[in-house]
Amino acid sequence: MKNRKISILAALLVAALLLAACPQPVPVAETAVEAPASDAAVQGGVWVEGSSADATILNPILASDSASFDVLGWFFPSLLGQDPFSGAIVPTEMAESWDVSEDGLIWTFHLQDGVMWSDGEQVTADDFKFTYDAIASDLVETPRKANLDNIASIDVLDLLTIQVTYEEVKCDALNNLGLGWLPSHLYAEDFSDVMDSPLNEEPAVSAGPFIFNDWIRDDNATVLRNETYWKGAPNMDGWIYKIVPDAGARLAQLQTGELDLIGVQPEQLTTVQLNPDLNLHKFQDDGYSYIGLNQANPENPQAGQDEDGNLVEQDPHPILSDLAVRQAIAHALDYDTIIENVYLGQGYQIAANVLPAVGWAHDPSLEPYAFDTGRAAQILDDAGWTDSDGDGVRECNGCATAEAGASLTIRLQTNAGNTTREDLGALVQDQLNSIGFDIQFEAIEFGTLVGELLGQTFDMVIIGWTGLGTDPNDDSFWHSKFDTPGSGFNFVSYQNARIDELLEQAVSVPGCAAEDRAPFYQEIQKIIHDDIPYVFVTGSVGNTGYSKKFNGTDPGPWSFYHNVETWSLAQ
Amino acid sequence: MVRYVIRRLLQAIPTLLGVSVISFVLVYNSPGDPILIRTFDPNITQETREILRRQLGLDQPWALQYIGWLTGVTLRNGDVVAEFGRQDTRCSFAAALNTTFCDNGAGILRGNLGTSIATNQPVWERLVERMPATFELSVSALAVSLLVGVPLGVLSAVRQASLFDGSVRVLAVVGNALPSFWFGLMLIFFFGVVLGWLPTGGRRTVSLTNEFDLLDRVRHLILPTIILAFGGIAGISRFMRTETLEVIRTDYIRMARAKGVPANRVWFIHALRNALIPLMTILGPTIFGVLTGAVIVETIFSWPGMGRMTFSAAVQRDYPTVLGAVMFFSLLTILGNLLSDILYGVVDPRVRL
Repeated sequence: MKNRKISILAALLVAALLLAACPQPVPVAETAVEAPASDAAVQGGVWVEGSSADATILNPILASDSASFDVLGWFFPSLLGQDPFSGAIVPTEMAESWDVSEDGLIWTFHLQDGVMWSDGEQVTADDFKFTYDAIASDLVETPRKANLDNIASIDVLDLLTIQVTYEEVKCDALNNLGLGWLPSHLYAEDFSDVMDSPLNEEPAVSAGPFIFNDWIRDDNATVLRNETYWKGAPNMDGWIYKIVPDAGARLAQLQTGELDLIGVQPEQLTTVQLNPDLNLHKFQDDGYSYIGLNQANPENPQAGQDEDGNLVEQDPHPILSDLAVRQAIAHALDYDTIIENVYLGQGYQIAANVLPAVGWAHDPSLEPYAFDTGRAAQILDDAGWTDSDGDGVRECNGCATAEAGASLTIRLQTNAGNTTREDLGALVQDQLNSIGFDIQFEAIEFGTLVGELLGQTFDMVIIGWTGLGTDPNDDSFWHSKFDTPGSGFNFVSYQNARIDELLEQAVSVPGCAAEDRAPFYQEIQKIIHDDIPYVFVTGSVGNTGYSKKFNGTDPGPWSFYHNVETWSLAQ
Repeated sequence: MVRYVIRRLLQAIPTLLGVSVISFVLVYNSPGDPILIRTFDPNITQETREILRRQLGLDQPWALQYIGWLTGVTLRNGDVVAEFGRQDTRCSFAAALNTTFCDNGAGILRGNLGTSIATNQPVWERLVERMPATFELSVSALAVSLLVGVPLGVLSAVRQASLFDGSVRVLAVVGNALPSFWFGLMLIFFFGVVLGWLPTGGRRTVSLTNEFDLLDRVRHLILPTIILAFGGIAGISRFMRTETLEVIRTDYIRMARAKGVPANRVWFIHALRNALIPLMTILGPTIFGVLTGAVIVETIFSWPGMGRMTFSAAVQRDYPTVLGAVMFFSLLTILGNLLSDILYGVVDPRVRL
């Protein structure tokens, strides 16, 4: 059971906001080279991870926050494993192999024999079926209902064989099968106790490397070695999840040894690097930061499609629907300075929506927009945005989209409390204003921002995606069917029939071979790059600081703990 | 006296009802949506969100939601007994009104604060879990505020315009002005990281057993207490200084001095007693200040208390938890003020209740 924690996380959070920094993704440089483990593993020791937020519920189908998965990830088996270094789906968890029917619709999974819950019951196909049936049940309030989309049936062929039948070929369909399995023998058959079971707070059994011990809310959660773990019991006695909300306090506790692992903020890097007792794990996170440009009029948000799936013509944004304005913005930003000074070097410029980490789909030939204020100003001049009254702000004098005389005034928002984004906002405001924009920047509370964002009532927003996973399918950001005010994630109201078509084709290629899907994604990247619904600011880089207390740590970008059972206390 | 207490308690009922309406309206009309915040993930469909919203009753008009929160009874159009009926929720359909009435057994009028949206736990349980931590910190901060603030104030009044008086007054201003999140981090860095004398946060040293260890608890309490008490010391010392100055100008103090009573005895026996009486009146607000100040201090020092929970519940728009905490804090404030008034009558017999 290699990469247990992150495999579940990655499958679930295919894209949650950059807000919660969950350790994940593709190495820039492997920094930590450990002393080779001595012959005999040393028993004992405890690893303490620091977290800003506490878990909320320890049930894999009810939880929706990364902190909960950090803890419950130790207990519940899952169907598919994930390579800790490449992120590829691998048969390292319950499924030891699988076959696919010729039409690509029927997947048959063969399970590991002899995997036991810690109370002695065997983990079987029934647990898998119970879990997915529970999600379907009306008695269960879960945010995971969409995991069942496109699944026609789940059949238990025998205790160790599961057959999943899909309605249509969808190349990223396996991502929906990553949820942790509930121990079906401890729940009522009709799912009536799933919501209120005491197991949601004290999971009694585990099939992972640790078993639940204790959870003091907002303080700490502790787990103990599972002596019967099927990959071999860990050497360490246990693992503690300690809640330390303040980032400065977390760093202090890492320095004093009260914590063994924290996510390191860019401004804290030097402290960790200079400390001889600490290691630093640096990796390309599977996310990026961007400035979303609303293509539609924020005063009149409309859905992208009508009920029959026909495109609905949008009321265009008076300024941002002008491609020239978007190009000017993309050229007016000094990306090197931003990455150096705002992200303190923890980032890299990207050209479009597929990250280099997804090597087969990424188009390396696409050049990111170059910083060139002269060119940006020229584009605005040519497009009829000129400063005719000499007040330093351009007005529409023959521009394509706005009324004559309208000034180039745009709101820019981000979530307050995220200092990196607040700094970026100030810098973007400064750089755009210097070429004749009038940017009104404000940082607002996250919950409020989410409302504006999904309500499509914003002009420009600084935000990010994280947990994008290894599949390049990101149709929820671009497809017109996800342009639904109040809920859809194509909140920039991007509308392009060709993109809709490409996104659909790319996930339904017969056979789903990478080389067959790649051309679609390359064309998508080209179009997104040229149309600029997002100004891509930087790809994310994550940093984890951790103690040298144990030998054998081998952090991968997709999982820090994938080989935790082999760690051995350093003498 | 007993009648007075009873009357005050009865008066508290409309006050609490008023608090409930105002806070309910404020909380429910603040921007942001608990469902969106919980499901801000492109993989979660709108359909799922609508189901969650309906199951939690968040699709209803706020007045109906308020009644539900107050009484535990919700009404819906049509016959939806099958959809909403649960083991703990009894529903019945009134055909004449074409309305389904559901009673989930909660409602604050029945003393039930409801269930948290974020964790699905009873709100009261969430509060109770964190009460010991908050009270431990508040009581210790209050004790330190009084034990340090009162003598400082009296001494600086007695030595009015001296260097000591000046320092205390500067301290009072600084104490009120220093942002606790910054000062807290400085203390953590200095005493925790550089000197290594004290733990940098938390309520206990975490271990796999989490056994109770008094010395360990006290060590964890020191830094947050200092931070939380700092503002209190500043306020109380200023208040005591003013009160003492007033008292020592009165005739009976002059009389005592003239009789030749030793100075210390005059200050600390004759003057202090009378100066302490008005302190009772600011005790209520001070308790309230310590409780609200705990929100920030609990966050910096990773203290698992009610303040931190309320703050994160507000961020998550966990309405029932926020409202439950507001009602609880309101009740505490009302009781604190009542206690303050009663004590006033006890220490000053001239005040008749």
